[in-house]
Amino acid sequence: MDNSSYVALSAATALRRDLDVTANNIANASTNGFKGERVVFESYLQDGATVEENTNFVIDKGSYLDESQGGISQTGNPLDIAIQGKGWFGYRTAEGQMTFGRDGRLAVDAQGNLVTMTGAQILDEGGQPLVLPPDAVGQVEIDPQGNISAPGAGNLARIGLFDLPDLQSYERLGGGMFIPPNGGEAELVPEVRSRVVQGAIESSNVQPIVEMTRMMSIQRAYEQAVKLIGTDDELRQQTIRRLGQIT
Amino acid sequence: MKALGIAATGMQAQQTNVDVISNNIANANTTGFKSSRAAFQDLVYQTMQREGALTSEQGTARPTGIDVGLGVQAAGTVRLNTQGGLIATENQLDLAIDGRGYFSVNLPDGTQAYTRDGSFQLSAEGQIVTLQGFEVDPGITVPENTVNIEISENGTIMAYVEADPAPVELGRLNMATFTNEGGLKPLGDNLMIATTASGDPLAANPGDPGVGILRQGYLEGSNVNIIQQITDLISAQRAYEMNSKAIETADQMMSTANQIK
Repeated sequence: MDNSSYVALSAATALRRDLDVTANNIANASTNGFKGERVVFESYLQDGATVEENTNFVIDKGSYLDESQGGISQTGNPLDIAIQGKGWFGYRTAEGQMTFGRDGRLAVDAQGNLVTMTGAQILDEGGQPLVLPPDAVGQVEIDPQGNISAPGAGNLARIGLFDLPDLQSYERLGGGMFIPPNGGEAELVPEVRSRVVQGAIESSNVQPIVEMTRMMSIQRAYEQAVKLIGTDDELRQQTIRRLGQIT
Repeated sequence: MKALGIAATGMQAQQTNVDVISNNIANANTTGFKSSRAAFQDLVYQTMQREGALTSEQGTARPTGIDVGLGVQAAGTVRLNTQGGLIATENQLDLAIDGRGYFSVNLPDGTQAYTRDGSFQLSAEGQIVTLQGFEVDPGITVPENTVNIEISENGTIMAYVEADPAPVELGRLNMATFTNEGGLKPLGDNLMIATTASGDPLAANPGDPGVGILRQGYLEGSNVNIIQQITDLISAQRAYEMNSKAIETADQMMSTANQIK
C-alpha cells in the first residue's frame, strides 16, 4: 500500500493540534501569570520490508511549558505580588487540593485569608494558609523575601516560594494552577533566589509576534501537507487510467 | 479543530476588558471612584496524553503530556482601592476621606450603603444628605440660621449659629471599614453595599487607628490613571485583533482541508 497520503495526513493532524495550542497561547496573551505551551513533534518510524520502504510519520509527542519569566507590570495595588525568578506560589483550593501557580493577584476574604481571584488560599513557606488580622489589611508591606508585615503588628507571615524541578511533568488545571502528575504530593522545596515584587503582577509570557509567525507557518505547512495528499491522489488517478488503457 | 472556539473565548475576554476600561475612562472625573481591572484566567486543559503514562514494558514513563488549553475566561474584576487625589472645593459640606474607610449612608429602604463620595448637601429639613438625598449616618440635622459648619478631622460636626461665638456640637460622623473591600458590590450612584465576600462592616469613626481622617472642603478624585487606561485600551484592541487572526487562520485551514479531492 502506498503510504504517502497517510504521511501527509499525519502531518496535517499534528499541525491542527499545534494550531489549537497556539490559539490558546494567543487567547491568554493578557492572562496574568500565564505560561505559554509548545508542541513537540517527533517522527514515528514504521519498519518496511526493506530500508527504502521505511516510512516516517509525524506524531505530536508531547507539549512542554515555556517557563520563562513574564513581564512585570505595575498595578499599585498592595495585594498584587509578582515573582521575579523561578519560584512558584503554593495554593490550597476550596476542595483542599494543593496546587502551584504564578498568579499573585491576591485579595483578602471576609475571614482574613489571603486568597486568589477564585478563592484559593495562598500558602506560607510551611505550606499553611496565610491569614491576616483584620486591622492589618490595607496597609501590609511585602518585602522581596516575601515577608508580610504591617505597621504596629510587626512581621506577620512569609509567603512561600517553592522550587518545582520536575514542573514539565505537572498537569495543568486551568486558572493558572498546576498539580503534580498522577495525584502525587509535591515536596515543598523553598526557592531562595526568587524575589517578590509588591504592587505589580506578572504578565503572560506569551510573545504575540512569535505566536503570530508560528500561526502563519502552521498554516503554510498544513497547506503543503494537504497539497501533498492532492498530488498523491492525482498520481493514483493517472496510474489507474494508464493501466486501464493498456488492457 | 478547537482553535475557533479558543480564539472566540479570547475575543470575548478582550471585549470584557474594553468594557471595564471604558467604564474607568468614563468615570475619570467621578468623585471617589475606584478604577477596576478585568482579571483573566486560563480555562481548563484537555489532556490528550497523560504525563507519567508508561511508554514501555521496562517502566519508562512519558515525561510530558499533551495538554491543550481551551482558552481564557474573565475571572472577575478587581477594584483598585488606592487613595484618589484630593481636590479643594472650598465647599464646607464637601468631605474627603484621607485613608481607609467609607461613609455610611442610610438608604430609604432602611438598609445601609457605603461610599467614598463626600459631596454632601443639606436637605430642606436641614439634614446632611448625599447628592441623591439619602441620609448620611448617623443622621445629623443642622439647626436653622447656621452661619458656618466646621467638621474636624475625626468627624465631629460643629455649627456656629447666628451670632453665638461658641459652636454647637451636632454629632460625629460614622464610618465603616471592611476586611475585604474588594468584595463590596457597587450599586451605582457612587454607593456600594456589603456582601458575604466583603464581610460585615466594622463600625469606626474617622481618625481611629487604621481608619482615615476627614478633610473638610476637599473631595476625593477618582484614582483612574488615564495614561494607563489608554495604553491598556491599545493592547486590548491588538489582542482582540490577534484572536480574530487566529479564527481566520483556523477558517482558512478548514477551507484548505475542504479542497482535498
